[in-house]
Amino acid sequence: MITIGFEDREKIGLRYVLDTLHPCSPFGTERVRKLRFYAPDERNELETELRNTERAANAADALKPVYDQIMLVLCQLKDIRGSLKRLSEGACLDHVELFELKGFLLRISDLRPLFDRMNETVRIEGLSFSDPAAALDVLDPERTRSRGFYIPDSASEALRAIRAEKKRLEQRLYEAAESEKDAIRSMRTRVCAEEETEERAIRAAMCAALLPHVPAMLADADAAGQLDFLIQKALFAVRYGCVRPEITETALELTDMVNPELVDLLKAKGRAFVPVSIATDRGATVITGANMGGKSVAMKTVALNVLLFSAGFLVCAKRARLPLFRCVRMLFDDAQSMQSGLSGFGSEIVRFNEALREVEEGYSLFLLDEFARGTNPDEGAVIVQAVTRYLNGANAISILATHYDGVAEFAGTHYQIIGLRDIDPDEIKTGLSVSGEDGVAIIARHMNYGLYRVEGKADCPKDALHICRMLSLKPEILERIERAY
Amino acid sequence: MKTLLPQNCKHIRTLSIVGMCKNAGKTTVLNRLLAESRGRVLGLTSIGRDGESVDVVTGTEKPGIYVPDGTLIATAKDMLALSDITQEIVFTTGIPTPLGEVVLVRAKSAGNVQLAGPSITSQLKTVSDLFFSLGAEQTIIDGALGRKSLGARAVAEGVILCTGASYDMRMEKVVADTAQIFRVMNLKKAETVPEESDKPLHEILKLSREALVPGALTDAAVVPLLKSGALKNARLVVKDPSKVLLSPDTLDKLALRSVSLETVEAAKVLCVTVNPVSAYGWKFDPDAFLNTMAAAVDVPVINVKEEPL
Repeated sequence: MITIGFEDREKIGLRYVLDTLHPCSPFGTERVRKLRFYAPDERNELETELRNTERAANAADALKPVYDQIMLVLCQLKDIRGSLKRLSEGACLDHVELFELKGFLLRISDLRPLFDRMNETVRIEGLSFSDPAAALDVLDPERTRSRGFYIPDSASEALRAIRAEKKRLEQRLYEAAESEKDAIRSMRTRVCAEEETEERAIRAAMCAALLPHVPAMLADADAAGQLDFLIQKALFAVRYGCVRPEITETALELTDMVNPELVDLLKAKGRAFVPVSIATDRGATVITGANMGGKSVAMKTVALNVLLFSAGFLVCAKRARLPLFRCVRMLFDDAQSMQSGLSGFGSEIVRFNEALREVEEGYSLFLLDEFARGTNPDEGAVIVQAVTRYLNGANAISILATHYDGVAEFAGTHYQIIGLRDIDPDEIKTGLSVSGEDGVAIIARHMNYGLYRVEGKADCPKDALHICRMLSLKPEILERIERAY
Repeated sequence: MKTLLPQNCKHIRTLSIVGMCKNAGKTTVLNRLLAESRGRVLGLTSIGRDGESVDVVTGTEKPGIYVPDGTLIATAKDMLALSDITQEIVFTTGIPTPLGEVVLVRAKSAGNVQLAGPSITSQLKTVSDLFFSLGAEQTIIDGALGRKSLGARAVAEGVILCTGASYDMRMEKVVADTAQIFRVMNLKKAETVPEESDKPLHEILKLSREALVPGALTDAAVVPLLKSGALKNARLVVKDPSKVLLSPDTLDKLALRSVSLETVEAAKVLCVTVNPVSAYGWKFDPDAFLNTMAAAVDVPVINVKEEPL
């Protein structure tokens, strides 16, 4: 089962995505809050959900007025599951609870024609609402379909008689002399008690009559949550141009994927997120590249999109082929266990062991960002090489970002950050001397955060040297560096 | 039924009934109002919990609130079981109280109700708006006691101020303190609101003859300004009357120097009611009490015990 902790959600931008959703009903809100990931044996269910989401997204523009009306109705739904539970346990519900049940049934009747209109185009599979008319008739025997809840005089002959007497006494009370009022008041109190007893009996009868409808009402509440969530997922897909992934057995392919949180963050700064593409399969994949080059971003974007897919979302990419994972685990360099009393490195090993145990329980996705960076470079390289070699044989897709040398040759797949590969350093150097702009900012702007696949043995990227050149490091030093390369 | 309360109490859209103390006759006034309004649709709620049949503070028996057929009531869910009206649940507000969610119910028969409404001004406003959208002609808020009620101005346009012998054994003190609350409540509504500024008051007043007082207005702040003459012919605006914490003496002095004290949020006190009988055993002479009170304020003063209700 996939479970993702609060910190990881935050880090990979999943929380951001969930925060952009605005479910309307308590049932939809619950689905977002308790996000459920499909397990490998739920492939058919996930397939259905993805198709539903895709169709709902495709129709979002044309059906906007219908979606808006559906959301308006969903907003008015209240969580009646507590009352339904009490009802099933044989409790006699009070006026307010019956009012809420009636309100719920009325909303469901409002929702049904809208849902049908949506369905003409979207053809949602596995989602339906039952006809609430029979249950409504219990709560609204006179079929007024008014919003309020009131036990009508006609509910029983006894009630009619009691209410008539109550009314008569009230009129008398209004007209009577002060001396007679106390006597009338005590008569009235008796009638009120009778009314309460009779109403209680009627409420109990209503509850008994509602009992057979409880399963349908619970199912409708669930369906409302599903519909609510589906619309939110569809609107999200439209916002970020998402695509329905093809489900594979083991292969993972994400073409031009983006991370919504970074897309929005960069957009606010007038910049754009560079889409990342990656294709890999069972075994270890290593991502290398200069620091600041976006290795972590690539990994987090993979994690985010895999999780979105597993939760039935379309993914933020141009094209996607993804397998179902038993679990998704990530070890990011910036999390340190302060309580453990171990050093950063020690706690990293503890967490690695823990994660590996889970990863080995079934086909999983394992992400390691700059593993063992907390130790010295020689030892670190040896450790990461061994880990990579091990993971390359494990039943999981493992992606490791590292800047250690000699790791990639132990991996099945090797990706490198494009970085400054395609940039002519002299051009930037000239540009710099002319404009007098901040050099670091210019380099950041020219940095290509995309990935490219390295076939065979790769040269070490010389981005650091490029940067030295562009920023006009003292020539005597530069010469020595070039000689040493 | 002889009408006891002034007509303007019935024409103002939102009316708040506030008491100087427990047993000031608030519920008596409310019942009177409800009885005199028979045939009109009223919306009724309270600030927090009120309407117990026995006063939990003094242990004396209190009159229940008896509403006519058709009244809309906003009260906490748990209070509904203690009411004997025939209920139609109209709306659930989602406003939480310790006694359950505030529920709007229409009385399908006359009867006794127990009120426990919202305790936050904005929620009272929501409830009041709901009443009007459901067809109420007037909203009545059973208000809080004493100074606390000064804050409820944002909702109510008119106020009935109830006072009584229970407040203090000395009639003079009851009258003086009631008059003081009355004065503060009836501050003039500011036609224009001076700009907010974080400079000290005396500096603002040096530049212009008016100032918005951001927080409370106290004797400690006002007396030195009075002495320095900085306040002469000036205009002081407070956010609402609850911000005025001045002694009667200082208020007099402000009036004397023709300083205009105004408020952003203002409600009018429409009448003052007196209850000469104390819950603690003593009584005032009804006529003396009524007349002294009437001399201290410029609105009608009514003795709620004047005639049996």
